[in-house]
Amino acid sequence: MANYKEAPLATRPKTLDPAEYFNLSHDYRRAEEKRASLRAQLKRQYLEQLNNPHRKELIEDPALTRWTYARTNNNYFRPTAKTSLIGGLFGVLPLFILYVVFKTDRDKREAKIKAGTYERPYKLST
Amino acid sequence: MLKVLIPTIMLFPTIWLASPKWLWTTTTAHSLLIASISLMWLKWTSEAGWTSSNMYLATDPLSTPLLVLTCWLLPLMILASQNHISPEPISRQRSYITLLASLQTFLIMAFGATEIIMFYIMFEATLIPTLIIITRWGNQTERLNAGTYFLFYTLAGSLPLLVALLLLQQSTGTLSMLVLQYSQPLQLNSWGHMIWWAGCLIAFLVKMPLYGVHLWLPKAHVEAPVAGSMVLAAVLLKLGGYGMMRMMVMLDPLSKELAYPFIILALWGIIMTGLICLRQTDLKSLIAYSSVSHMGLVTGGIVIQTPWGFSGAIILMIAHGLVSSALFCLANTAYERTHSRTMM
Repeated sequence: MANYKEAPLATRPKTLDPAEYFNLSHDYRRAEEKRASLRAQLKRQYLEQLNNPHRKELIEDPALTRWTYARTNNNYFRPTAKTSLIGGLFGVLPLFILYVVFKTDRDKREAKIKAGTYERPYKLST
Repeated sequence: MLKVLIPTIMLFPTIWLASPKWLWTTTTAHSLLIASISLMWLKWTSEAGWTSSNMYLATDPLSTPLLVLTCWLLPLMILASQNHISPEPISRQRSYITLLASLQTFLIMAFGATEIIMFYIMFEATLIPTLIIITRWGNQTERLNAGTYFLFYTLAGSLPLLVALLLLQQSTGTLSMLVLQYSQPLQLNSWGHMIWWAGCLIAFLVKMPLYGVHLWLPKAHVEAPVAGSMVLAAVLLKLGGYGMMRMMVMLDPLSKELAYPFIILALWGIIMTGLICLRQTDLKSLIAYSSVSHMGLVTGGIVIQTPWGFSGAIILMIAHGLVSSALFCLANTAYERTHSRTMM
């Protein structure tokens, strides 16, 4: 094996580790070859589609289709204690907090207007 | 007003009698002509507000920009749908454009109405062509679900409005906007009156949509074809805003206290739907949630009842109408070329 010094940020890959390389069992090597051949088949299929001069449409990626389906069709929501807490904290509580904030602020401004002490920040003509 | 309404009604014979080769060209040209004529409304001739043409239809500076927006949208919708409708048989293409033109007619009559009942009837009437467009020409199977949500949310919101309008007619004797703007402020001090107040506004809040009742919008926008999405986003949402602006005139003394829930829902809705936008993978869904966010700001502007708020609301409605329908158009061009709405 070539003398491969490891770079500071790149660790030696598992397949090039001399301690491991000669210890692999035959079954593991066969499985690894099978996985490599599957990868090569997929890559060949993709490259055939990519370089097909008569292709007009997009190359479809089934993994992307599965991913978007999973993202959009998640009917796995269950109302548990944690989800109810999150829902209440972000969906219900802010409404009450905002009500209190707005009401006090506007009532203060209304009181100032009634007392005549409110200075208008802009000169608006309607 | 009739200078635009009659050509719009004449669009129907144009659609059905044009030869198949010239169908799209003639309808686009006809609707562009209507759109150019509609620009004459922008001339504000009467200082008193309503530039009316007859007893039932009139325009004023609130409805004119929305009317011009409606008229300009029809040629854009026809242009945008030309590609995805062309494989279909001719009579189906004609039906599609007929639905778009009928929407246009109902919307012109809605925005130009002087009687609130006429506005209400046209408000409801626009639901039907939109429902047919969504459920018949949408692309995914979820369009039936989307049509159901759209129809029933809006109908459930607008039934209280009908009752409220009938009560208003009973108590004031008229429902004409020209008269009601000068009426005495109503005595609104009981629980029944509060429910009446809410009934007047809920229909428009569902249509806007307000954050709590916005669930129909992403579904309807995603499942609709491009012209349906364009008209939904650009004009139908503004029907809600316009209706709210008209109704706020007579709802006055009670609105100081009762408006708080809606202000809060609108503002919190801006933030929440903005955050939901960040997590979307479907492009049309993202534009739909951004529509909810913008309309939340419009709702906030209308409900606080200041002149600046109203002006801001109108400007945002027009701007959003143009931009959102253009966005849906762009999303459709991407979808036509890649048949996928994922944003990756």
